[in-house]
Amino acid sequence: MPGRVPRVVRTPAIVLRHRRLGEADRIVTLLTPGRGKIDVIAKGVLRARSRMAGHLEPLTLVEVVLAHGRSMDVVTQAQTIDAFPAAHDDLDRLSAAMYLLELADRITVEHADAEGLHDLLHVALVRLARGDGQQVVTRTFELALLDATGFRPELTACLRCSMPVAAEAAWWAPAEGGVMCASCARAHQDAQPIDATALRVLRAFQTQTYEEAGRIRLTDELAARMEQAMHALMRAVVERDLKSAQFVSAARRARVAGEGIEAAIDAARDTAGDDEE
Amino acid sequence: MHRVNDGHAPFLPGASSPIARLVEAFHRLPGIGPKSAQRLAYHILRAPEAEAQELADALVEVKRSIVFCAQCQNLTSRTPCDICSDGSRDHHSICVVEEPLDVLAIERTGGFGGVYHVLHGVISPADGVGPEDLKIGELLARLRDVETEVSEIIVATNPNLEGEATAMYLARLLRPLGIRVTRLARGLPAGADLEYADDVTLSRALEFRQEVQ
Ligand SMILES: [Zn+2]
Repeated sequence: MPGRVPRVVRTPAIVLRHRRLGEADRIVTLLTPGRGKIDVIAKGVLRARSRMAGHLEPLTLVEVVLAHGRSMDVVTQAQTIDAFPAAHDDLDRLSAAMYLLELADRITVEHADAEGLHDLLHVALVRLARGDGQQVVTRTFELALLDATGFRPELTACLRCSMPVAAEAAWWAPAEGGVMCASCARAHQDAQPIDATALRVLRAFQTQTYEEAGRIRLTDELAARMEQAMHALMRAVVERDLKSAQFVSAARRARVAGEGIEAAIDAARDTAGDDEE
Repeated sequence: MHRVNDGHAPFLPGASSPIARLVEAFHRLPGIGPKSAQRLAYHILRAPEAEAQELADALVEVKRSIVFCAQCQNLTSRTPCDICSDGSRDHHSICVVEEPLDVLAIERTGGFGGVYHVLHGVISPADGVGPEDLKIGELLARLRDVETEVSEIIVATNPNLEGEATAMYLARLLRPLGIRVTRLARGLPAGADLEYADDVTLSRALEFRQEVQ
């Protein structure tokens, strides 16, 4: 019957996250090619003998069969297509994958027309899992996601006066969505100087193909600067802290021997201090 | 007295009434839906006052007397807890778990003679939980300050995305200390059916296969 919602739908989907519902069920958030982001109910997955549970974990591309439900659709079958196993083997790749999932989740509204987002996320996860550089995968995903959702950042002309800005003289204004020239930035509290090389590489990532972008060599320090700038931008776009972005940075800091340990102990001391007050 | 309806609509006779407050308080507990919350509240209403008083006392008492063990961060009525102060246990080996209930689960097996460290959660960005929200700093401070040399950390977080991320993050933090970090083997649960196992579990089960004795 035309115009009626079909009772059963089969679709591929990427599992973004899930939350508990009562004793044994979960609400699973899926990103689908046809219907964008949807919440569905997976019944009985918290029971030890559930046949679907392992297939509905975050960071899984799955084929699901959904039955039309009263408030939410119900998963009746789930079969893993790709669990991106190699993304689970390394902390940097895993934290990057968690960040991609959180970004895709936070930037989309439920049922909104998210055409292309599923494919963007799928491609990025495949690239991560096959061992492409975590930086180039993450940064090009962020830029593509911003393009697709209408938040394309301005990286070459000043957001205020529209004059071209040289990379050496550019300021970074995340809340405005890009760069400003030095004189316009002066009147702006939120703007900060940005490393010229970091900005040049971001410009290249925005305009070049993925293959070209992948050939750019990045030092750890440069990667950290680009990460900082883009995390600030994404935070401004989704209008909230991205816990996974902080985890990506924490994982990178922990790679520097000893630095992570001191930071973690300090954090514990800070919370202990709060308790005493 | 208010009549409790057992239909589908939540029972909320005026948002500030004592009954509504009790229903709301039960509803906030994990795994309690609106209907169960109503049922529990109604049970309390019909129960003798002494029973209600006993429940109230137990709630207050547990919050007053239960503290975090200064060593393992488990919940205990005295610190260090019974396990940490047990000299017959192997203090060279620390098993890191997500929750206090996980300590009970491992103790039930009787297969572990070391000591524990409870993180009180797991790294889960989707739920707003980062490493700084867990008892990770306490673990590192414990390893640095304790007189007993620790030779092995067994990370027993759950075999899911969050548990893996937590285990790998801990392993990376601990690497400079030169302590051996291991992770629980991952395989098929008892009563599982190969045909329905997910790919990650099945491939890990293959990877960590064992000689048939
Ligand atoms: Zn203890």
